[in-house]
Amino acid sequence: MVNLEEIKKEAKNILEEGKVKYIIGYAKSSNALMAAPTFVKKPEDIDKLIWDPTCFQNLVKFLLDEKRKKAREKEPDIRPVGIFVKGCDSRAINVLLQEKFITREDVYIIGLSCEDLGVLDEKKIFKKLKGEEPEKIEFDQRKNIVISTKEKTIKIPLKEILAERCLECTSSFPVISDVFWGDRNNRSPKEPFKSLEQIESLSQEKKWDFWQQQLSKCIRCYACRSVCPMCYCDECVVDSINLAITADTTAEEKSQKIKWIEKSPESSENFGYHLVRAMHLAGRCIDCSECERVCPVDIPLRLLNKKLEKVAKELFDYKAGLDPEQPSLVSSFKDEDPEDFIR
Amino acid sequence: MAEEFEPKIIAFLCKWCSSAGSDLAGVSRMKYPPNVVPITVMCSGSVSPLYIFNAFQKGADGVLVSGCHPGDCHYIKGNFYARRRIALVKELIEYIGLEPQRFKMSWVSAAEGKKYTKIIQDFVQELKPLGPQKKLRREK
Amino acid sequence: MKKRTGVFVCHCGINIAGTVDVKNVAEELMKHSDVTHSEDYVYMCSDPGQKLIENSIKEHNLDSVVVACCSPNLHETTFRNCAKAGGINEFQCEIANIREQCSWVHKDKLKATEKAIKITRSTVEHVVKNKSLEPISIPVTRRGLVIGGGIAGIQAALDMANSGYEVILVEKSPSIGGHMIQLSETFPTLDCSQCILTPKMVDVSKHPKIKLLTYSEVQEITGYVGNFKAKILKKPTYVDPDKCTLCDKCVDVCPIVVPNEFDIGLTGRKAIYIPFPQAIPATYTLDIVNCPGLLPIACGKCIDVCEPGAIDYDMKPEIIEEEIGSIVLATGYDLYDKENMKEYGYGKYADVLDGLQFERLLSASGPTMGEVLRPSDHKVPKEVVFIQCVGSRDPELHCAYCSKICCMYTAKHAMLYKHHVPDGQAYIFYIDIRSGGKDYEEFVQRAKEEDGVVYLRGKVSKIFEENGKITVWGADTLAGKDIEINADMVVLATAMRPTKGAEEFAKKLKVSLDKDGFLSEAHPKLRPVESVTSGLFFAGAAQAPKDIPEAVAQASGAAAKAIIILSQDHLFHSPIVAEVSLNLCTGCGMCVDVCPYDALSLKDNKAEVNEVLCEGCGTCSATCLRAAIEVKNITPGQIYEMIDASVGG
Repeated sequence: MVNLEEIKKEAKNILEEGKVKYIIGYAKSSNALMAAPTFVKKPEDIDKLIWDPTCFQNLVKFLLDEKRKKAREKEPDIRPVGIFVKGCDSRAINVLLQEKFITREDVYIIGLSCEDLGVLDEKKIFKKLKGEEPEKIEFDQRKNIVISTKEKTIKIPLKEILAERCLECTSSFPVISDVFWGDRNNRSPKEPFKSLEQIESLSQEKKWDFWQQQLSKCIRCYACRSVCPMCYCDECVVDSINLAITADTTAEEKSQKIKWIEKSPESSENFGYHLVRAMHLAGRCIDCSECERVCPVDIPLRLLNKKLEKVAKELFDYKAGLDPEQPSLVSSFKDEDPEDFIR
Repeated sequence: MAEEFEPKIIAFLCKWCSSAGSDLAGVSRMKYPPNVVPITVMCSGSVSPLYIFNAFQKGADGVLVSGCHPGDCHYIKGNFYARRRIALVKELIEYIGLEPQRFKMSWVSAAEGKKYTKIIQDFVQELKPLGPQKKLRREK
Repeated sequence: MKKRTGVFVCHCGINIAGTVDVKNVAEELMKHSDVTHSEDYVYMCSDPGQKLIENSIKEHNLDSVVVACCSPNLHETTFRNCAKAGGINEFQCEIANIREQCSWVHKDKLKATEKAIKITRSTVEHVVKNKSLEPISIPVTRRGLVIGGGIAGIQAALDMANSGYEVILVEKSPSIGGHMIQLSETFPTLDCSQCILTPKMVDVSKHPKIKLLTYSEVQEITGYVGNFKAKILKKPTYVDPDKCTLCDKCVDVCPIVVPNEFDIGLTGRKAIYIPFPQAIPATYTLDIVNCPGLLPIACGKCIDVCEPGAIDYDMKPEIIEEEIGSIVLATGYDLYDKENMKEYGYGKYADVLDGLQFERLLSASGPTMGEVLRPSDHKVPKEVVFIQCVGSRDPELHCAYCSKICCMYTAKHAMLYKHHVPDGQAYIFYIDIRSGGKDYEEFVQRAKEEDGVVYLRGKVSKIFEENGKITVWGADTLAGKDIEINADMVVLATAMRPTKGAEEFAKKLKVSLDKDGFLSEAHPKLRPVESVTSGLFFAGAAQAPKDIPEAVAQASGAAAKAIIILSQDHLFHSPIVAEVSLNLCTGCGMCVDVCPYDALSLKDNKAEVNEVLCEGCGTCSATCLRAAIEVKNITPGQIYEMIDASVGG
């Protein structure tokens, strides 16, 4: 069992000892269903830390900001940053280590197992509430969630409102950590790719209709990219203007930026953007589903990334973020990789 | 009578095997439909998914990526990386509903002029009934 | 900035102009905003054609050129030189292939012309974004390495050394000589093999430019053409050749007897041994695998009797590192494993021999001192059956290829047998007789006519021992009847295979192998001694089965190629190499993972290209998620424009 008091004690210790610069964790927010990221810098602030199924955000994204900040500072504080990670988040750290974007010394990983549960899917709860605003929530024996609105109080079994990714999760505990709470039981969901089945069973044209309908909604706000811990390039290949301009960038370099994808939210460009994004996340996406959660127009982005996760697993026996020492999915191969699609 | 639909195919051929194989088709005076325009790249391993998506966006009706047979890569193993990358692209574009017939990968050695000819002939035949590729194509 | 590109469309007589409206291609290309000049000509590769390009560059002040003609594999160099002669950088010239990939494969003139325009436009898009580049200059280490000390390796080493270059010759066994030194006499002249080889072996040992490393194995090759580094493991022989007087006392006292490799198990040798009397270097080797132990307590007999104190149990393996400029691989062959040939009783019946064993029987220095005797009972065999194509030309069960030398050596075996046993009878089962080569066919005829060898066209179905005889069942397909021969001895012409361990070795050296495991040459016809890795050359049976004259010729060819590199102060490497945009690179190292040449590394968290190692394949570029690495003059930006032009309207 994950014991919040023990976590707080550890947090207090490492802050007092100056072992970490600060701790990125979760705290209550004005939205009862969602814990907010919090940065605890002083030992006396540790009481705001929480740990429950509302902690669905992937805090690893903040490590990217930390790295950039450190790069700008003249005499940066090189102590590690403490960070709360769930199983999925820990795989994100592994991918960042694998890609050498951060080093192991940059982080002090406070690993928290989701055990037999997972985190909430806000959208599922909103559906159950039929438009009512939740004011207060409580968890009852890790089995139910008790939600109070102005009108009433309802009790919903947790399993019904867990995020899809938690229902399909195969390793609900951090695979890398400095301190760890909870169990390390591997889960073996019967259908780890169940959410893909519906689309996969469609005819070619119906598949197209589905994605056409979904992706035509895209307004190219790039929220998916902004929230993604894997999207850390200074300049994204799909942008048609240079962002990574330095003092040395020549006019020639600026003019050479290739417009692979136009910014306008037209169908072809939207497909272009999302296809490139899916390819670039193949073997890297760790299924935190943050892209889908933050999408303002509710595109089921997770289903794109999950598809390539499945392909990687089934064709190449590859799963992202398990081992920072292994080469990436697309920077490795096996002699026996399938080639029945090749003539 | 309406003119028969003529699909446009972009073929990314590696310089050492597949482009040489297509040269051999020429030297042997084999005949295949003129629907394919080859773009010779150094290695099938250099074909980025961006090239493939871009060709479809620009209105290609079919895209072929062709490299050396496994073990024969001029660059030792570039084609193995290509095989993995292209497998991902293929799965992805089929999943979003593009007709699988529109995207192909082949191994064509420098000696396989005949195989290249057959691949193009078959590709054109398969694409004709599908009509123009409009799904990923940019509006003009 | 706009370029001033010239487009030159070749008719190639009617080869292109017959199917492509070349004038129309030239006219259409003139509409391109970067094209300043465009024209067609009947033969661009002819002298006047080249002059035309050269002059146009000057006249129209062109900065780049597209020649629409045949495949770049044919005339790219011609036209790049032409561009250079016209005063522009050679990399500002690109070829649009409108012959092999267009005019020759299409019939419809209208459509072929349309396609030719697209191809040429795409090539213009390519060239307008080309940068002017200069070949990369690399200094050369002027020393060669030859791996394998058989006849091919010996010849290559001598040729290189005689040209004045230092050579390191590495041989894995205790002596050089290879398989040739095991042979009795050689076809078609019946020269004594040892007699013609030993002078060359002595030359090697005495040559001031040759450093001979026997009982040694190359463990690693790093670097690149002109600048390789080799790590060579020199195994301890436990005998100091300088002190050893070759008195043979250690051999006399050694209690261990194991099969003698030199006689392919027909005799035994001691754990301390000299492979054969003429071995180079002439010294003993203590075979640690079979020696009861180096501690005097385990045995120590040899060290006790060695008066000059040449035996040193404390000798350690040594790693020798050498820098070299070019390498000749001559790792040779082995015979097809007898484990695979059970159907012929090989390995089961003592009197069923392979070709090399029979060579030893025939050899004057062999186990029987040149007398042909059966291994089982030392009687003179009166009837001997020779079987060709054992394991060769059998795609279903064994090797699909022809081992090439067996027809000839079997004829020789039968002939020599008859010389030793004039009243004996030799039978040869064969599929075909392949006797192409100088005086080879005459040699086979001599075996038939003068020595009365009976050739039976057909396969052998079964071999079994019966009453001290080896019964051979076969078919004579010419006579159309079954044949049974009660032979005294059977000799199998087993297939030639690449040396054991060749596969592993090839992986270490990053050379590719063909489907049969032989070294894969860069071009089967035009570059038969070169590997795809520049600076690495092949000689002898490691590349394909071949006989002595062929192996020697190829060795000299490989040596010449190796010398071409060693004879230069600098080499030039193509500048079509990868380039990193440092501001985009995140240092993830995926390009480093995929690079087949180890040309990429991370330095200060950014990818760095070793331009000399880079071959420009571009796999890094397709792998990079940040678009931070691309190959010069074939960049994604160029491909982007080429796709545009190729799709067309």
